[in-house]
Amino acid sequence: MFRPTRRAALLGSLAMPFVARTALAQAKEPIRLATLTPLTGAGGSYGPAMVKAVRAVVDALNAAGGVAGRPLQLQSEDDETNPDAGVRAARKLIDVDKVSAIMGTWASAVTTAVAPLCWESRTMLFTVSGADSITKLPHNGYIIRTQPNTELQSMRAANHLADAGAKRVFGLSAQTPFAVDSYNRLAAVLKERGTEALGDVVYDASKTSFRSEVDQALRTKPDTLFLNGYAPDVTIILRELYRAGYEGRKFTFGYAANAKMLESLPAEVTEGLVAFSPSPDLDSPAYAAVQQSLGTDSPDTYSCQVHDHISMVALAVAKAGDATGTAIHDAVRKISQGAGLRVTSASDGLRALAAGQEVNYDGASGPCDFRDSGDIENCKFRFEQVRGGKLALLSIS
Amino acid sequence: MENYLLAMAVFAGLYALMALGLNVIWGLAGMVNLGLAGFFAVGAYASALLTVRLHWPIPAGWAAAALAAAAIGVVVALVTARLRGDYLAIVTLGFSEVVRLVASNEIWLTGGTDGISGIPGPGRAALSALDYNLLYAGLVWVAVAAVAAALARLSAAPFGRVLRAIREDEVVAAVAGKRTLVFKVQAFAVGAGVLGLAGGLYAHFNAYVAPDAFQPLVTIYVVLALTAGGTGRMAGAVLGAVLVVALQEGTRFGADVLPGFTPVQLAALRAGAIGVALILVLHIRPNGLLPEQVRHHRRAP
Amino acid sequence: MPADALQLLVNGLMAGAVLAVPAIGFTAIYAVLRFPNFAVGGMATVGAYAGWVANTRAGWPAAASLAAAFAAGSAAGLLSDWVALRALRPSRGGTGGALAAAIASVALNIVIENAVRFVWGNDPRGYDLPVYRDWRVWDLRIGPQQLENAAMATAAMAALFVFLGSTRTGRMMRAVADNPALAALKGIDAERVAMLATALGMGLAGFGGMLTGLDTSIDPLTGFRVMLPVFAAAVVGGLGSVPGAVLGALVVGVGEELSLLVLPPSYRTAVGFVAILLVLSFRPRGLLGERAY
Repeated sequence: MFRPTRRAALLGSLAMPFVARTALAQAKEPIRLATLTPLTGAGGSYGPAMVKAVRAVVDALNAAGGVAGRPLQLQSEDDETNPDAGVRAARKLIDVDKVSAIMGTWASAVTTAVAPLCWESRTMLFTVSGADSITKLPHNGYIIRTQPNTELQSMRAANHLADAGAKRVFGLSAQTPFAVDSYNRLAAVLKERGTEALGDVVYDASKTSFRSEVDQALRTKPDTLFLNGYAPDVTIILRELYRAGYEGRKFTFGYAANAKMLESLPAEVTEGLVAFSPSPDLDSPAYAAVQQSLGTDSPDTYSCQVHDHISMVALAVAKAGDATGTAIHDAVRKISQGAGLRVTSASDGLRALAAGQEVNYDGASGPCDFRDSGDIENCKFRFEQVRGGKLALLSIS
Repeated sequence: MENYLLAMAVFAGLYALMALGLNVIWGLAGMVNLGLAGFFAVGAYASALLTVRLHWPIPAGWAAAALAAAAIGVVVALVTARLRGDYLAIVTLGFSEVVRLVASNEIWLTGGTDGISGIPGPGRAALSALDYNLLYAGLVWVAVAAVAAALARLSAAPFGRVLRAIREDEVVAAVAGKRTLVFKVQAFAVGAGVLGLAGGLYAHFNAYVAPDAFQPLVTIYVVLALTAGGTGRMAGAVLGAVLVVALQEGTRFGADVLPGFTPVQLAALRAGAIGVALILVLHIRPNGLLPEQVRHHRRAP
Repeated sequence: MPADALQLLVNGLMAGAVLAVPAIGFTAIYAVLRFPNFAVGGMATVGAYAGWVANTRAGWPAAASLAAAFAAGSAAGLLSDWVALRALRPSRGGTGGALAAAIASVALNIVIENAVRFVWGNDPRGYDLPVYRDWRVWDLRIGPQQLENAAMATAAMAALFVFLGSTRTGRMMRAVADNPALAALKGIDAERVAMLATALGMGLAGFGGMLTGLDTSIDPLTGFRVMLPVFAAAVVGGLGSVPGAVLGALVVGVGEELSLLVLPPSYRTAVGFVAILLVLSFRPRGLLGERAY
């Protein structure tokens, strides 16, 4: 009795998904992206917050309907702070998950190892690594780096120290690709400004005690110490300096003195430490967004940078009308710099692009304007000082 | 997916080569060599430097990698001749760390922690990524097969028997008239040479070497591979290597299935699962999945 | 220059004293159970975190927190030994020999490190204890914290020596270590002694882990970082010899510091190993030989 109707209904219901699928196929096809950050290994204290910062933006954009109607799909892999593990993870992301962009590689060795895989497969790579050699690789525009290179950082640091009245500066560095270079550049600028650069000591960051290295530094009677390491070793050095009764200036990079690290030390040990990081202007809404998504007044610089990575990816996809790595590669500078409307969030930018306007994204880590080499053109730096165990803003310049 | 699987096949092959090299030194001759990463690094850097700085052809680089590592193997064997067991272990581990530190600090030679990038690969520019991976996977596994076959023959030959005798009781072997030092040095050289070859192959596949890639963790995984696969048998070494790489990569996909955990927790679960799996293998098969088939001469109780 | 060398010597002795505690644990387990139990590294991390929880969450003072670190290391050590290592131990006739248990203990370390990471993440944690300024004695810088650590390490060692030398249980342990067959004949339950050795050794590892953390900060990799120097110290002194482990730790600690007279600090670890090689070249069984209780 019902057979004809049922058969028709059955046939109809079989056809529907096909029709629906082809019609919605383009719209529903997710935009596949990935984070590749250190979740274990020596850099393990940095990766998780970075993933959180990216996830926050992805969730917000998806809640508002995605990018050009397409949802953002985020895969997060662990590079284990090891170039081989990073390469294996990247291969999986590129060949299996077929992502268009990888964001957040931290260790310079990981970035250098992963980079050829990205440019050969035309996957866009956004990195926070500091080694200068990275942007010198033949990447054809497939690397964007939001971390200032050694030249820019050292110059700004040196000028700040000279302005603050430093006369005798000594450096304590972990063994990194930029350890020697950053001290040498710092010293060169300091000398121009009439400050004495007393020398530096490079230590093995995997040790648990640096008493003798600190002794060596203090023997030169510096009034300022430049701590060029990462949070785990700088934590130990700060304790050691306090024990040794050092009362002079302490200066370090923002990533070595993030909020979590400061919490783990007594206030008197960190008092007066000056930390500097690349920064947007004062009261940047992008920065405020990261403060909120991470739930802290002092988000670390890496989280700010990856927030910008994902925001730029979203805007580039919208601008290009396509989500492949090449599309992002071609469009990224069109939305990150130039004469367009200044926007500080991906959602604002998406709205403007939808309305047919050009945009210029300024992010939580700075203006996000990139040279052809992938390095940032320039940026302001925020100088913060630790007071009572918390970071207080000194200046942005 | 094929690209990824082929690349993982290359890594498994490299691990297999390392496990084979270790098998000669440890499995056959009973010398606890924890300096694997060091010989691997020597081979990798030797090949990288010769091809990048001096523009040697790649196969010459590989040969040099094996020879350089073998030569250093001879030195290490001579220096540690009198040491046994855990004492040998700590010194070889130290050797490995010294290699890593020299690579990190001597920037003029090795580029320091920046590493050496742009290492050429055979036909890399001309081939598509898939074809290149296919070529290289084939290359590595041919090497594995060749080395495994050669070592299996060596193992069955008088040389291998002497090594096993030394492993069981060095004093007896010496009394039996064998110049144990010569055999031990030879075993070390052969094993180190294989490790160096693995390093050379690795450098050209990865196109990049850096000291961070040669941490003790590499040694730990190769030792785990050999133990789980079966010390003493070449097939065991290969099987163990494949198992370790399969665990490392397989757990990655497992993480996708588990909701509700933070990325750090998933990473921890993944790494922990690998440890648990290896402990389980050791419990089920304490002599490895493919234990050595030694003819037991049972002594009367 | 001499003043510098003296300061380096002092630094080295302090570092060595702290290293000695887990080194003794490691070597004691070796003496009785006859295999190198690398899980000592993992227990150092467990102890450090247990002490941290006791100190920052329950507000316990340093001494009580250290006791908690010892207890946690001990308990976790026993549990993991029971679950993962017991069946593989050479003394139980495990077919794998000393190798299987040692390898399994390495895998165990990976599991423990990640269990800690699973619960507490990677962020460095610090104890809620004051940091003291150093004392200046002549031209030397001596830290009260370091001195306290060294004193506690020495006290632990002294207690252990008394235990091993004077108590019945201690003598049982030495008997099993010296000659398991004879000890069995005399009716000593080898398994109980083995468990005791594990509990003691892992407890010391936990205690040592917290001592290291007091000076620095703790994270899941704390034990892993300390495992290599601990192994080195135990080997240099002679595996199975408790006084040897102390001596070995001091040699390793002082050797690394004195190396700074001739080499840059980035080569410290390398020099440590060269020192070990030198010692073993002259004494292939370690400074005090094996089983010199």
